[in-house]
Amino acid sequence: MKRTSTPLPLSADALRACTHTAPGREAVRSCTLANGMKVIVWPVHNIPNVALYNWVRAGSRNEAPGITGLAHFFEHMMFNGTARRRPGDFDRLMEAQGGANNAFTSDDVTVYQDWFPRAALELIFDLESDRIAHLAFDPDVIESERGVVYSERRLGVDDNNHGFLAEQVQATAFVEHPYRFPTIGWPADIQSWTLQDLQRFFRTYYAPNNQTLVLAGDVLPDEAFALARKYFEPIPRQADPAPVCVVEPEQTEERRILVRRSAQTPLIHYAYKAPAAADERGPALSLLMSILVDGDASRLYRRLVEQEKQVIDVGGNWHEGFDPALLWLYFTLPEGADPDAVQRVIDAELDRVVHEGVSEAELRRAKNLVSVSFWKKLATIDGKAQLLGEYEVFHGDWAKLFDAPAQFERVTAAQVQAVARDVLSVSRRTVGVLVPAADVNVEPELSEVA
Amino acid sequence: MSTAYAFTHPGGGAVQVPAHERVVLPNGITLLIVPCRDVPLLAFQAVLRGGPLGDTKPGVASLVAGLLEKGAGSRDAFAFADAVEGAGGNFSVATGTEALSVSGQFLARDQALVIELLADALLRPRFDPAEFEKLRARRIELIKAAKDSDPAEVMGTYGRAFLFGSHPYSRPATGSEASLASVTHQDVLDYYDAHVGADRLILVFAGDVDVPALERDVLAAFGDWRKAAAPPVALTEPQKARGRRVLLVDSPESTQTYFWIANVGVNKRYPEHAALDLVNTLYGGRFTSLLNTELRIRSGLSYGARAGFTRGTAAGEFAIRSFVDTENTGKALDLSLDTLTRLKRTGVTADMLDSARAYVLGQYPLNFETAADWAAALAELEFYELGSDYIDQYATKLREVTLPAARAVIDTSFPNAEDVSMVLIGDAAAIRNVARNYGPLSEMSITEPTFTP
Repeated sequence: MKRTSTPLPLSADALRACTHTAPGREAVRSCTLANGMKVIVWPVHNIPNVALYNWVRAGSRNEAPGITGLAHFFEHMMFNGTARRRPGDFDRLMEAQGGANNAFTSDDVTVYQDWFPRAALELIFDLESDRIAHLAFDPDVIESERGVVYSERRLGVDDNNHGFLAEQVQATAFVEHPYRFPTIGWPADIQSWTLQDLQRFFRTYYAPNNQTLVLAGDVLPDEAFALARKYFEPIPRQADPAPVCVVEPEQTEERRILVRRSAQTPLIHYAYKAPAAADERGPALSLLMSILVDGDASRLYRRLVEQEKQVIDVGGNWHEGFDPALLWLYFTLPEGADPDAVQRVIDAELDRVVHEGVSEAELRRAKNLVSVSFWKKLATIDGKAQLLGEYEVFHGDWAKLFDAPAQFERVTAAQVQAVARDVLSVSRRTVGVLVPAADVNVEPELSEVA
Repeated sequence: MSTAYAFTHPGGGAVQVPAHERVVLPNGITLLIVPCRDVPLLAFQAVLRGGPLGDTKPGVASLVAGLLEKGAGSRDAFAFADAVEGAGGNFSVATGTEALSVSGQFLARDQALVIELLADALLRPRFDPAEFEKLRARRIELIKAAKDSDPAEVMGTYGRAFLFGSHPYSRPATGSEASLASVTHQDVLDYYDAHVGADRLILVFAGDVDVPALERDVLAAFGDWRKAAAPPVALTEPQKARGRRVLLVDSPESTQTYFWIANVGVNKRYPEHAALDLVNTLYGGRFTSLLNTELRIRSGLSYGARAGFTRGTAAGEFAIRSFVDTENTGKALDLSLDTLTRLKRTGVTADMLDSARAYVLGQYPLNFETAADWAAALAELEFYELGSDYIDQYATKLREVTLPAARAVIDTSFPNAEDVSMVLIGDAAAIRNVARNYGPLSEMSITEPTFTP
């Protein structure tokens, strides 16, 4: 078949006529299996491939002291054999039919992803359902995989100054809520969790009624539903996992930590207590983040990197979770910079947005940036599967995805200022500063992490 | 186990380059337009041939690229950023081994603005001395930050400097702390006059474009642009390294050793590239590869191990990359070298080749999903003069790869384990004696302001 144009699924005419509703809603269909598993399908036939995401509602939020990192370790074990297939068969069979896979674990969820040619559709259903129905735990593989996860931790935390500082800040920001646990797990826990811990976690959280399957690409909804009935529906429903009821106590004073590490460049992290993903202030908060850190014209980048030259890199993100979590701002400083002086400038900029609000031009810029990044994501089958899943899992309904552009468009400058006032409060933040170990001029404040 | 479904013979994976316009302007600009009318976005890719090949000091070309968006035409740096981001667009500059590129994506309605910004950036950059000083200082600090937090990212830069010797591919494309410190504002102006001009430019637009308006506007905006003053820098093929040697980069608090094992590979026009892709997929290109099986799946030593070929106008490197806890450094290096020896000795089987073929075919269409994907793909075809067949015939070529063809690429393109340059970033006090086992040892500290000892 000769393709004559890049086959993107979005209709330009539809977009121009209707900038407030994303197209495609009429094509998406969902069904719920008898065992409670929901299946959502977005058929798009631009390329002969399919993206599949299986969202499991289990993350480090479902852990406890002593077993931190278990949700993530579990993600690794899901590739390591079932009662019917040896360790390694999952990848070997999938790759031999043209498929690739990955997975990620967050504080809230564990997500399994496959990207494959449509001819492999039934194999993928077989493989994915097999590991939910018949997962096996080989003690030798558990030990080997412990090493793999520890290596992943060293890469992202122990040998990465940003990763190390963020872990300390997160552990300081929460006193009770399990969001204080690093998703990768504390070192001693990685080395000590047991086969029984894994089996208990699997029984509790890997129930079909705790999972949502999303497919986007060259597949018809009825075809996917039939395969879901054949492969997933026989897996029995289980009792719903006990809800996480922990409510983090209100933070009333700023918390600060100082970390000394082998480094040339100092770092500053700010972590503010922020609302949950489904909070109605979400669109305003996303736009506030864009105004602060997105692009060379953003407030913090322009002031700190371009004008004051006190910072070499700025970033940030809002952790959109089931429960209220953190809004992060990160700063990388040039060698020799004074972190206190930099914080005074950051604080002045944040005060300005709280007290003076944002201009219409800034808000327009943020809306345009958010809108282009939304369309870019929707342009791929992977982005479609991811967004459908996010809206279903974190906002309760995949269909809300299609109202997202309108939600952003409706946000006013006053709402952005209001959410800035709510969130950017000194008494509800945790500040982490990393300085070179050799730097003796910085006095530790309150607590210090070696 | 009963399998109720039928495996389909891997017949998919075929991708066709979409219909597009190609025009060479009288001043040498190659203009490519890929209309994709379903899309409300416009992607562009501007590639300037040469890049760091024209550097008098490593990092000059990269600073030129960075400054293109720091004030151009009637806009200063802030006004330029406001114009880009105010429209929701993005405008990124990048430095490759032998090209500079500017790419981005805007809403299609902003076609005229995109051409105006691109023409200003390329034809009328301001090169404001204050912006130059600021960018240079920041780039130096960003290298230090990367050395602090991302040894895996900087490993290749040390590696190429070590492997390629006096060949231009050895130079760090974005410079080192020391080389950037020596770059002057005049170096930037001189580079721009000598190496940036119409005859070096490939300009690709893809998306929901108005083709006649675009051709007209590009001609008006770029038609009178001068050519670059200096001739293009010719590139010779680098020599493969003989024997084994080791560079140890000391990062005292590192808990792992990050390693890179390489030799010179093949170039972009390598005729057996389909066979090469299949064999490399089996060796180090996918999760179940020989290398990842040894270092991750069987031993649990590392989170991951990959290998691959970087192919340019001239041969780039074939490199193995992985990392392992300090204590197991020797074990992981031995396993890596052993897999290479095993590949050279025993090759691959027909079943392995079939599996790799299905995998590469199955994943190939995912590279060509969006307008931005096509803008990048067409720029690459043009840059290396590969022709549309490179993509159109790729699936056919993959299906035609035979075992003897796979054997031939193993013999000629993959290095012997005895002929590799190795870079280790880690705690030198703990791994120095291990490192010595693999060949003559050079040593430096990660805080030294260069990538060479």
